[in-house]
Amino acid sequence: MTSSWFQDPTLLAAMLGALLPFVSFVLIIVFTRPYPKLSAAISVASISVSVVCAIFLLSSHWHLEQPIQYAGKWLISGEMYIPFGFLLDELSLLMLTIVAVISFLVQVYSLGYMAGDPGFARYYAFQSLFAWAMMTMSIAPTMLQFYIFWELVGLASYLLIGFYYEKFSASEAGKKAFVMTRAGDIAFFLGLLLVLLNFGNLNVLDMNSVDVTARMSPGLITLSALLVFGGVIGKSAQFPLITWLPDAMEGPTPVSALLHSATMVAAGVYMFARIFPFYSKSASAMAVFLAIGTITMLLASTMAIVTRDIKQVWAYSTVSQLGFMVMGLAAGSYFAGVFHLTTHAGFKALLFLCSGVLIHEYETNDMFEIGKHGGRGLKIPMVCMTLAAAALSGIPFLSGYFSKEAIMGALANLHNPIWLVGGLLGAFLTAYYSFRLIFIILFPSKIEEVHHTEHGGHSAGHGHDAHHHAGLYWVMAWPLIILATVTVVLGFFQAPLENFLLGHHGVAEGHGGGHHAWLPWVAVGLAVSGVGLAWLEFGRKGASQVGFVERIEPVRTLFAERWYMDHFYRLFLDYVIYGIFSNLFTRNDRRVIDGGIDGICRATVGGGWVLSFLQSGMLQYNLMVMFAVLALVALYFFF
Amino acid sequence: MNSLYTYLFIAALLFSLGIFGVFQRRSLIGMLIAIELMLNAASINFMAFNRFLAPDPIVGQIYTLFIMGIAAAEAAIALSIIVAVFRRLRSINIERAQELRG
Amino acid sequence: MNSVQSLIQPQFLAQVGFVGIVALTFAGALIAVFPRNILYNVLGLIVCLTGVAGIFVYLGSPFVALMELLIYVGAICISIIFAIMLSRPLHLSLPKRRLPKVGLAMGVGAVVFIALSTIIFRTAWEPALVRSDDWSVTTLGKYLLTRYDLVFEAISLVLLVAILGAIVISGYARRSPS
Repeated sequence: MTSSWFQDPTLLAAMLGALLPFVSFVLIIVFTRPYPKLSAAISVASISVSVVCAIFLLSSHWHLEQPIQYAGKWLISGEMYIPFGFLLDELSLLMLTIVAVISFLVQVYSLGYMAGDPGFARYYAFQSLFAWAMMTMSIAPTMLQFYIFWELVGLASYLLIGFYYEKFSASEAGKKAFVMTRAGDIAFFLGLLLVLLNFGNLNVLDMNSVDVTARMSPGLITLSALLVFGGVIGKSAQFPLITWLPDAMEGPTPVSALLHSATMVAAGVYMFARIFPFYSKSASAMAVFLAIGTITMLLASTMAIVTRDIKQVWAYSTVSQLGFMVMGLAAGSYFAGVFHLTTHAGFKALLFLCSGVLIHEYETNDMFEIGKHGGRGLKIPMVCMTLAAAALSGIPFLSGYFSKEAIMGALANLHNPIWLVGGLLGAFLTAYYSFRLIFIILFPSKIEEVHHTEHGGHSAGHGHDAHHHAGLYWVMAWPLIILATVTVVLGFFQAPLENFLLGHHGVAEGHGGGHHAWLPWVAVGLAVSGVGLAWLEFGRKGASQVGFVERIEPVRTLFAERWYMDHFYRLFLDYVIYGIFSNLFTRNDRRVIDGGIDGICRATVGGGWVLSFLQSGMLQYNLMVMFAVLALVALYFFF
Repeated sequence: MNSLYTYLFIAALLFSLGIFGVFQRRSLIGMLIAIELMLNAASINFMAFNRFLAPDPIVGQIYTLFIMGIAAAEAAIALSIIVAVFRRLRSINIERAQELRG
Repeated sequence: MNSVQSLIQPQFLAQVGFVGIVALTFAGALIAVFPRNILYNVLGLIVCLTGVAGIFVYLGSPFVALMELLIYVGAICISIIFAIMLSRPLHLSLPKRRLPKVGLAMGVGAVVFIALSTIIFRTAWEPALVRSDDWSVTTLGKYLLTRYDLVFEAISLVLLVAILGAIVISGYARRSPS
């Protein structure tokens, strides 16, 4: 194996692609941190190699018969055997490509966005760390390796969210993200343990096969499915662990584009798709997932309607779309969910990057401010953003339309119409809030043509050199153009992708069921009416720029406060965790442990004090003891 | 009545009384007196063995004379020590001599 | 007449005398140990030692008995009385006896006594096979100067050293400022 790995191009490509970013991370952290440009060059070079390797793998294995697995011995304990290595099947190759391409585009974009930042080298180190972790996670053959790299991805997320660590809210957000995803990961790990103990191993291919039902009882499968889904809830910010994702916007915008829209949070959905056959064996668990996805989608959409911050809108939108993907997968359609993941990665990253250009230019996140200061003057970002928002809303013939239709179709095939109603309502709201933002920036109520204002924004300060400015602008613009092209074009690749993903083996897929001809019309109609409503309220001349929800103050407050979920968490933390558990453990530490040790000390001292009377210095007592002992010894010997 | 056991018993009783005196008396001279009792008990012991068990009755008597000589020497030294202690502690109460107290 | 004769039979008289002497010994011992007045103790000691001398007579050696009277009563007890007079503890207040200490001392004394009694009554005392009959003082003197003269010399040496030591101790104390 070790001698031939150079000769096998697939293995070589997989190893290079997955491991080079790690090498880059180590190099930057250890050696080249004082040299920002060199660090960036190393990082971008490694991710370019990864992109090339990923595209090579995808194209050369387009007609894959069987999944290719490379495994080395790793964890062997009795009957338990957990290898490590790579698993290359359609899904993992697709995900690998998505991650590699978007990481590459974001890293190039960051050359412009993060220019002049004092933590430039550190930023690229963490980007490399993330790329390594995410890519290796995508091609992990066992759930344990998946889980390890899942955690590493979470680590990279924490480091990048808290990138501006001097800012208290940023470090708090990083901590919140890490802790909340950790809570989900605990359930994930418990589920994995259940599977390991009952099923014997954690290989993805084995878990997806029919052997599972033979060895695990249905109740056990449902329980472990629910627990493992906890990881999806944490990582993909589903209900109830929604609120960390909006706060994660404290990180730099390219980080939000990469991690918190396209790839990291999609890791939860990817995990769902990865062991989709395992989950499908439990119908009750799938029903629960469907409910969670729907609730998430609707909740997040309502939150997006009332916010003023650009990144927050897209953050809530990401949560909502992830819920939508979960709905699609839980409804039974493997392809629909994965397809939407792919297209969403494209246009959501594009949305964030465009917003990044606007934020970088006007140094504020507030969409009203940006509109007022002439945001619409930046043509390339605005065009791309509009395109992406249209794709998000499901406007026909953009990529989002195709993937959303696929999911709607899957929802329509379910018995209960309530899910479809939820999905359609969500589509309406999505169109509404996306175009609310677009119109506020395109058609602001007042225009103050002030460029280069310096009021406090969210990006770190950097100098504005005019010549530099133009060069940086084009570095940021090219990724936008590439992503916009993808957004427009990807939808037409639905059929080939479907063949690729589903082709040869019957993944649990209900492509049957009725083709509901009325469904596309209804969906498009809702999307257009959402856009129309937004136009009415924000776009046309003389519009009030106040949404229909914002007129109702209590509802607006409810949505703006994220349905008081953060308040609930704070109370829960304070009263239950700190009040009960921390209290208990503190008391245990102080009274039992410290008290025990103090008690030992006191007993020793006390014992010594008690026995000190023997050292009274009184001759007669000593004599008494001597004679008593002698007499007793004599008695002992003579009795 | 005239057996070894009687005399040994008497000697044991005297010895115990002497030991009791050594433990209990507070003045040094009182302890010395009790020590003399103990020595005499030992002498009775030797004389009893001499009378009932020994092959040569002279030896026991010589030994008892020896004990008496030693007792005299010891009494002389003990009294001079008591005098010296008295000069230092101004008292012959043994409970005052506790400088080795822990 | 027979009863009076039986009363004054030598065996019987010896027994009575023995009991009396033992009682004297113990009375003296008790007086030597218990009272707090030290002169009582010394006088008790004298009585006890006299009794012990009587016991020595019953044990077949009047010489040793007389030696006892001479050395112990005549020398040692007198020197103790001298010491008492010189140190004048009579004028010092006698502190009260503490009961725990007395109890403890009595307990340990009892234990020692029990141990000794056990040893006495459990050992099989075997007299020697061949026992000589010579109890005379002549033989004692001869042995003391010929066979056991090392003992004699040793005891002399010990006495010499003791006297010197006593003088030195008392002398030093007098020379140091006090």
